[in-house]
Amino acid sequence: MKLINKALLSLALTGSLLVSSCDSLLQVDPRQSIDADGALTTPDAMNAALNSVYSKLRSARLYGRDLFAVGDALADVGVTTSNSGRLIGENNNQPGAHFGTWQTAYFAINEANLILDGISKVEGASAAQIARWEGEAKFLRGLYYFDLVKVYSYIPTAIYEQGVIGQGGIPVVTEGVISSGVALSRQTPRSTINEVYAQIYKDLEDAKKLLGTGRGVQYGSSPAASALLSRVALYRGDWAKVVAESTTALASSVGTVLSGSAYVNGWRAPVNPESMFEVRFALAEESIGVNESLQSTYTALLNLTNKNSQGGWGDFIPNATVRALFGLTALQIGTPASDNNNWDVTRNADVRAQLFTTGNTVRGAGRQIENTKFLSKSGFAYADNVPVIRKSEMHLNRAEANYQLKNETDALTELNAFKSLRGLPAVTLAGNALLEEILLERLKEFIGEGHRFFDLKRYGRGIVKTTPAVNLTFDDFKILPPIPQREVDGNPNIKQNKGY
Amino acid sequence: MRKILLLGLTLFLLNAMAFAQGRVVTGTVTSLEDGMGVPGATVLVKGTTIGTATDIDGKYSINIPAGSNVLVFTFVGLTSQEVNIGNRSTINVALESDVTALSEVIVTGYGTQPKREVTGAVSSVKGDAIQNLPLQSFDRALQGRASGVQVRSSNGLPGGAVNIRIRGVGSVNAGNEPLFIVDGVQLNNQSNASFTQSNPLAFLNPNDIESMEILKDAASAAIYGSQAANGVVIITTKKGKQGKAKFEFNAFSGETQPMKFLDVLGGSEWYGMRRNAFINSGVPNPEANALSNMGRLPATWQTLTRPALDAIGLALPTYDWQREVMGAGRLQNYEMSVSGGDEKTTFFLSGSYNYQEASFKPVDFKRGTVRLALTHQATKRLSIETNINLSTFQQNVPFAVEGSFLGSPAFSSSAVLPHNAIYNEDGTYNTAIAGVLGQNVVLVNAYNSGLQRTNTVVGNLISNYKIAKNLTFRSLFGLDYRLLQGDNYRDPRTPDGAGVIGRSSVQSDWRTRFITTQTLNWNKTFNGIHNMSAIAGVEYLSETREGISGAGIGFPTFQFRTIQSAATPESVSGFWTGYRRASAFSSVNYDFKKKYLVTLTARYDGSSRFGTENQYGLFPSVRVGWSLVEEEFLKNSSTVSEMKFRASYGLTGNDQIGNFDARGLYGGGGNYSGSAGIVPSSLANLGLSWETNNTLNLGLDFGFFENRITGSVDAFDRRTKDLLLSQPILWTNGFSGISNNVGELQNRGLEFELSTVNIDKGGFRWNTSFNITKIDNQILSLYSGLQFLPANPGIAVGQPVGRSGEGAVFSQEYVGVNPATGRPMWLDIKGNITYLPLAADRKYQGSSLGTVFGGLNNNFSYKGFELTTFFTYEYGGIGGDGQYSFLRENGTRLTLNALREVNDRSWKTPGQITDIPRNVTTNGGNELRSVGRNSGTASLLKYDFIRLSQLTLAYSFKPSLVSRIGLSRARIYMQGVNLWTYTDYPGYDPEFTGAGTGQVPLTKSYTLGVQIGF
Repeated sequence: MKLINKALLSLALTGSLLVSSCDSLLQVDPRQSIDADGALTTPDAMNAALNSVYSKLRSARLYGRDLFAVGDALADVGVTTSNSGRLIGENNNQPGAHFGTWQTAYFAINEANLILDGISKVEGASAAQIARWEGEAKFLRGLYYFDLVKVYSYIPTAIYEQGVIGQGGIPVVTEGVISSGVALSRQTPRSTINEVYAQIYKDLEDAKKLLGTGRGVQYGSSPAASALLSRVALYRGDWAKVVAESTTALASSVGTVLSGSAYVNGWRAPVNPESMFEVRFALAEESIGVNESLQSTYTALLNLTNKNSQGGWGDFIPNATVRALFGLTALQIGTPASDNNNWDVTRNADVRAQLFTTGNTVRGAGRQIENTKFLSKSGFAYADNVPVIRKSEMHLNRAEANYQLKNETDALTELNAFKSLRGLPAVTLAGNALLEEILLERLKEFIGEGHRFFDLKRYGRGIVKTTPAVNLTFDDFKILPPIPQREVDGNPNIKQNKGY
Repeated sequence: MRKILLLGLTLFLLNAMAFAQGRVVTGTVTSLEDGMGVPGATVLVKGTTIGTATDIDGKYSINIPAGSNVLVFTFVGLTSQEVNIGNRSTINVALESDVTALSEVIVTGYGTQPKREVTGAVSSVKGDAIQNLPLQSFDRALQGRASGVQVRSSNGLPGGAVNIRIRGVGSVNAGNEPLFIVDGVQLNNQSNASFTQSNPLAFLNPNDIESMEILKDAASAAIYGSQAANGVVIITTKKGKQGKAKFEFNAFSGETQPMKFLDVLGGSEWYGMRRNAFINSGVPNPEANALSNMGRLPATWQTLTRPALDAIGLALPTYDWQREVMGAGRLQNYEMSVSGGDEKTTFFLSGSYNYQEASFKPVDFKRGTVRLALTHQATKRLSIETNINLSTFQQNVPFAVEGSFLGSPAFSSSAVLPHNAIYNEDGTYNTAIAGVLGQNVVLVNAYNSGLQRTNTVVGNLISNYKIAKNLTFRSLFGLDYRLLQGDNYRDPRTPDGAGVIGRSSVQSDWRTRFITTQTLNWNKTFNGIHNMSAIAGVEYLSETREGISGAGIGFPTFQFRTIQSAATPESVSGFWTGYRRASAFSSVNYDFKKKYLVTLTARYDGSSRFGTENQYGLFPSVRVGWSLVEEEFLKNSSTVSEMKFRASYGLTGNDQIGNFDARGLYGGGGNYSGSAGIVPSSLANLGLSWETNNTLNLGLDFGFFENRITGSVDAFDRRTKDLLLSQPILWTNGFSGISNNVGELQNRGLEFELSTVNIDKGGFRWNTSFNITKIDNQILSLYSGLQFLPANPGIAVGQPVGRSGEGAVFSQEYVGVNPATGRPMWLDIKGNITYLPLAADRKYQGSSLGTVFGGLNNNFSYKGFELTTFFTYEYGGIGGDGQYSFLRENGTRLTLNALREVNDRSWKTPGQITDIPRNVTTNGGNELRSVGRNSGTASLLKYDFIRLSQLTLAYSFKPSLVSRIGLSRARIYMQGVNLWTYTDYPGYDPEFTGAGTGQVPLTKSYTLGVQIGF
């Protein structure tokens, strides 16, 4: 009978336990996450949240690869090797083979917005901290919006509207989303291009005021904001602003304009001294890896010490135009010919030619002339800090702006000064020829850095290349990528770019 | 259990036995099947109430009254026999198994039921049917055995994942796996492991299984509430039986063989193909270019003529990389069990060792198990019981489970350019591999290493207390504990290890599940015609998973292979997650004279996984049955032996989502410049709740000619409401999606099962069982009137969702190549031919979910010989195969090898009608202004197949013969698995899940086995 009692008792106990304390029985809290409500109320949390906004720049869809490599592949400076089959569609300018920055950039923008929304709720923050959070978040938001609008919309200096209605800029959101209600209902339309640029100006001007010289070139700073503003103004055709911001940036202590062999060595250093803002790859696990890193994209070499070591794919290499600009031809420097270390290239006087050499034969396309700006300089395989803005760009921006402001003398002087930094003789040019020379100098300076496509786009120029045979006129819809179809399907207020 | 009950019953009869004068007859009752004594069999003098029961050895002794001359021997599950005594004093009988299984008992939710009274859709697979199959987990063995149960191996990894769908696919984003219950313990079913797949069901030796019951309709499964939407599979393991200790030794050994090698081009053939591609593309120096692609262009090529270069290409050798890395594997299984017991205690103890190699070395599976089942009648009222399964298995891991990894032999061996030698002349590995793969996979495979180990304890403690005559309390405590550990080493001598100078990755993952179930069982018969039984209970379940992992790089030499030798820690990570569930449930059965049957069940579940506003749910069900054979007009029919209509309707839930999906969270992530980051990882949804399945089931069970023909037909309409859908969120709002209850999905189907005894004459017996299922799966609605999901147009109203909820195939229709030019052609949305199909030209083409499937088993036996043939089949699924797609490119995009049949079909001359385009080398292997040659439906394949899954020839020695050497039973057999497949599938095998790229395919196997009982 005792057993009966025990049995009944245990059933009753279990039952009452279940009934009386169901709520606590079902309470399980995550241990590797915290509730979003109130997550950003401490200074440490703000710093951590800001880190995540920076870290998204590392994505292969952004500075990890695409903003550099796809920019060049779409343009007229290189060819693909088919070694891994990557970038072929982009290089052929096929429909849909284009940038895809939308998702990562908007996620980062939302995080920046949440930080900006949350600053006022942080307990125990100093004024300096508050200024830094706001400044860096706005610097980043400005950068993300700029990288979105330059890709998905026409550029203000060359807005194509002949016979078609331009679809405008991109959606601008400045309030963070953390609740499902807003997430499911907010359907932001595309702002006008001008509105987007105005927002970018606003963010970067604020950043400029709020930030000092910064805490390292991997973080936003006032000079970096000026430098970025110089580029944004260049795209906007706001030439006087370009001159002003370039001058401010050049005068700052952030970054160094290098010349001669120092310039080449700058590319061999973990942190390029030219950087005014760079994306940092600090840990081995952050490496983009053998398939999509910039190093792997541009060269099959693992390092320069032993060219026989199997490295990346070397998918995208300079074309004949670029090889001619730097006088590059393959050159056997020893025997046997089968040893990749016995090969190099001929070069002209341009110091930038030093950044090219022959690769190796381990991939299908064999030994090619490759760009070696990215060579695992972070200290582990397939990771390089990516210079988003180098100080040299300021000279080229200012020269171009001065040309557009009809200050051709200033423009020519600055161009020749720059050429001499690169080991090139001065030129005497005027009018359109001067502009062309400035643009050519940009092409040479930024091989592998993704500027060329946007420089063509800024001037409303088509893309013409012989290998592969492409003649993409500026009125072709493939100048713009499609907005991700899910965003169009799910948002009746968004108009897809024409042609898609 | 049955035997024990019966023993009690006969003992009871014994008391009523009248005492009479007469002679004494003694003897032994044995089972014909295994020759063992049958304890508790009834021996009755015909025409009297005089009877006795056999003892634990099957022996009996009975007084025969004068005038009586016939003995009747009966036992549940065996065919009764009447024997004329004559003037014998010893009568030994061997009873045959009663295959007609009139009195079969089925395990249902929290209880058992005679099959005749089952009113839901329940399929039962006996352990015998899957015995000794060389399969590591019993889920794989379910294929083709039961209607409505669709089983597909995910790949050929021994111990790898198996994809089971019971009555279609009920969910898009929540899980579609059924609930598995072993001895009352609800198992976790995660097969993820860092370095290979670890099927959680592989812990159990399939030969330890007594029976598997599959609860298919919602009404049968509803007592399991929120876990039951995808059906429930209840596994009952073998238990001891009263009687003297029975030893059983069981061994088989054999070989696995690849089912297929892909027929790829040889060295000179590939050269010729590539040369022609350059010619087609108008590239100068086609011979030189082709040789350059193959890394065989002489430095002096400019001094050579085109014919001379051509001769070099046409003389290139061929090396068979597939046969170098794929081949025969060993297969072994040894096990020993002992069972027995007395009136108070029974036990079953078994141990086993299983080893199997996959077709790709060194991938293998090695398992040891120990199992104990113990019952003890402590007092008249209290019995206690325990089942403990201990298991450890270890797998040599593949380079990758799937994917186009260059170092993966499953991907590269068929794709590497065939003129590359595997070894240099001095026997060392050739490391100068031409072509895109650029690395010697044989070397990579030999140098890398990795192990994944899974240790499992699944066990329970049960006590049954008989409170009153018809009221029993049962208390179960169960544990499912797993420890997964793995390490993986990328050797610095391999390309993947060279850059980082070796990488060691390690992982440990603990999964603990605790469950307790407390139930009260009651039954009573009123007036001999109203039978009632009821169960009420409460249950609590808690699961936690916790893991750590890390990787280190930079090793001194390749001999140092463990993480402590790494110079640099590359990554360190970990996770913790958990959930809890509390439930109460009840079930009531009523029948009137076994004629009209009704069952009502209800379960109330609360789960921590759901939003605070919706954590509780009620899952009711009703089942009714009408047993026509109990009616007067059929009661004496000689034709109809069984006839029952069934109807059921019930609600079940699906809770297979992330443990914290309802929460709005910030998680760790987004580290930058060496300092930690946090990132908003999910949006809160306080209303998140179960996805519910409402299933209406109509069924008919029938039996004719004393159940020589039996079977059932079921029709069902399964609707999933409040689908747990990852509702897309605009990326501009910072998130991809949110788990939400929106949309409705339907699975409609017909199931048919038939078992027949075709011939049973003169000792020859031929049984057939057959089953077929037809499923229609479609989305009925989404949300906000959407016809398709913005983020995945394959999820669309009116379309199936595919095996894994990935959506229907939505692509442009391919119509072969233009006979004049060899350019590939597609149809645009208007049905016109186009070379440049657009997104707008996509159409729905079907899905990966097979729509018709089943199995056919034939069993022939004659005088100890036994032949079993078992076929499985599936029809109607379509999809891609990544490995085939790479090879179908015919070497045009990447310098990979090509399939001979594809190259033979490639367009070569104007007027040729074919589906493979002209080979070109420009534009990534595609025509200018065209899309990839695999676009649209061009590379879509049908997954249809019929497979001879099992062929067994066995011989059982006569018990009388083997008893001379002290054995009670001896059986030898030869068995083949997957010996033959009827399919026109061009890839390795139509049976897989996933992308198909670089996956280890299933194997066939041959085994020889022996079973000895003593």
